[in-house]
Amino acid sequence: MKGLFPVLYRDYVMRTTSPLWLFFDLVVPVMYLLMFGVGFNSALGLGIELEGRSLSYNEFFLAGVISMACFGLAMNQSYGFFVDRDSGIFYETLTYPITRGEFLLGKIIFQCILAVIQTALSLAAAAWILGVNIPSSSLVYLGVGILIVTSGWFFTFASLAFLMRRTDTFNTVINVVYFVLMFVSSMFYPIDRLPSAFRVLSYANPVTWHTDVFRWALTGVGSTESALVQAAAFFIFSLIAFRVALWALSRAVE
Amino acid sequence: MKRTTEQPAIEVTDLRKVYHKRGSMPVEALKGISFTVRRGEIFGLLGPNGAGKTTAIKILTTLLRPTSGSARILDRDVVQHPLEARRAMCAVMQDNAVEMFLSVQNNFRVYGRFHGMSGADISRQSSRVTEIFGLQDVLNMKGSELSGGQKRRVQVAKTFLVDKPVVFLDEATTGMDSFNKRETLEAIKHEASRGRTIVLTTHILEEAEELCDSLAIVNHGRIIASGSTQEVKSSSLRLITVTLTFNRVTSGVLRKLERLKPHKIAHTEDTIDVQVRSESVAMDVLNSVRSMRGFRHFEVAAASLEDVFMDIVDRQERAGDT
Repeated sequence: MKGLFPVLYRDYVMRTTSPLWLFFDLVVPVMYLLMFGVGFNSALGLGIELEGRSLSYNEFFLAGVISMACFGLAMNQSYGFFVDRDSGIFYETLTYPITRGEFLLGKIIFQCILAVIQTALSLAAAAWILGVNIPSSSLVYLGVGILIVTSGWFFTFASLAFLMRRTDTFNTVINVVYFVLMFVSSMFYPIDRLPSAFRVLSYANPVTWHTDVFRWALTGVGSTESALVQAAAFFIFSLIAFRVALWALSRAVE
Repeated sequence: MKRTTEQPAIEVTDLRKVYHKRGSMPVEALKGISFTVRRGEIFGLLGPNGAGKTTAIKILTTLLRPTSGSARILDRDVVQHPLEARRAMCAVMQDNAVEMFLSVQNNFRVYGRFHGMSGADISRQSSRVTEIFGLQDVLNMKGSELSGGQKRRVQVAKTFLVDKPVVFLDEATTGMDSFNKRETLEAIKHEASRGRTIVLTTHILEEAEELCDSLAIVNHGRIIASGSTQEVKSSSLRLITVTLTFNRVTSGVLRKLERLKPHKIAHTEDTIDVQVRSESVAMDVLNSVRSMRGFRHFEVAAASLEDVFMDIVDRQERAGDT
């Protein structure tokens, strides 16, 4: 496990010497929360009726922001992979005295640390600025959830970065995937009143699964059974993504 | 004083690599190559583009798995014990691999950490390689701000930052200007003199001739010549180049020389280079022109590695055609 430290050190130096990356990773989701929160909360007035409960938009959206943070961090990391592969440093790194497992694990750990910091910032902003009640019982679920969600999306986006060769293709695919997965989900709005085709797609979207679980943990909306099913579905999605990422990594080298 | 020992640093045995791509025929990049590199030696892997050199380097640096055969770095099998093999080596691959978002200084720090160096060692060694490679002016620049040649210098400098016994340099001087190239070649010689084993690929054969103790020429995935640099040069049927200088080269002189059936003949307005395969033919060339009007000067030289390389590859290509 000694090989984990240089991987973490590299990402640490990278982030601390390029503050824009850190800003994007840590501050942008909080900005979404504050700007969307203030805007939509005022526009929607009474808030959102969901499964017999009335939530303010801020309460509703907080789970979406935490999902966005995990999802966005994983996407940024995949961009880093793509640049590394393009510049050749990715291949050079694979000749360093660390295992492939340490390399991937180090990357995930760093992303998870950022995701935890980001979630803490979002929760603090939601509680202190927007007045959202954060039940302490939700923190354990959120903690475990963040680790799994960040890892699952990390494997997914890393696979795309390993498999794609051209910058223009990569940028287009990533932007389309980011846009579709975020907006065809329960991240920004409840999906039960959407047109049926839209709703089916949203239920099939893994972003909806973990957003609903986070929302259940934070607000109690939804049944425990349904949260368990969605959590299990995302866990299986992450395992499949892990297998695909390993395959894509070996293909990228060949 | 070089510290070469008979103990092998690298042993490659019957190494094969077949690439399978969907929708196209399998490509056999290596067809069973074998060679040994002694500790402290500078070994050159030469060959035309697509010969299989980079595939061999990728297998040795554990980036690729061979289809069959074996490769060992300081007795560590690169397939069975890749991590152990990586602990014994560092590598410059063909791309200009630098950390694009990090300064040169931080490139050194990160590279040193990956190779298990302490902060103090990294600082000390960074100063040393910065001086050797003339990187003082770019130390605070990010990788993305460097020119191609500067990136290459940083990349080579990184491998000399760490003290690994085996170094792989794949086209290490590509993109460097003559001054930096000279500095780099001197640094490579210096590192080898400290007992490090260096394996390099290059298409600049003058570099290989200057640096390498031994070499292997690869073509179409096979080794077609190997041994010490001198042995390889002499394996090519003793090519000798006779350079003749005249006031003016005439067609009569050229006709006379062509009757001697030289291996190759090339001329400018006042000079003719005649390449022959034996000393007796070289003497015939000199005898045939020495009493001619306008003949001023001659030089006789053994063929360069480049001549030998071209000759060996050419002969192999022709043998393959027939």
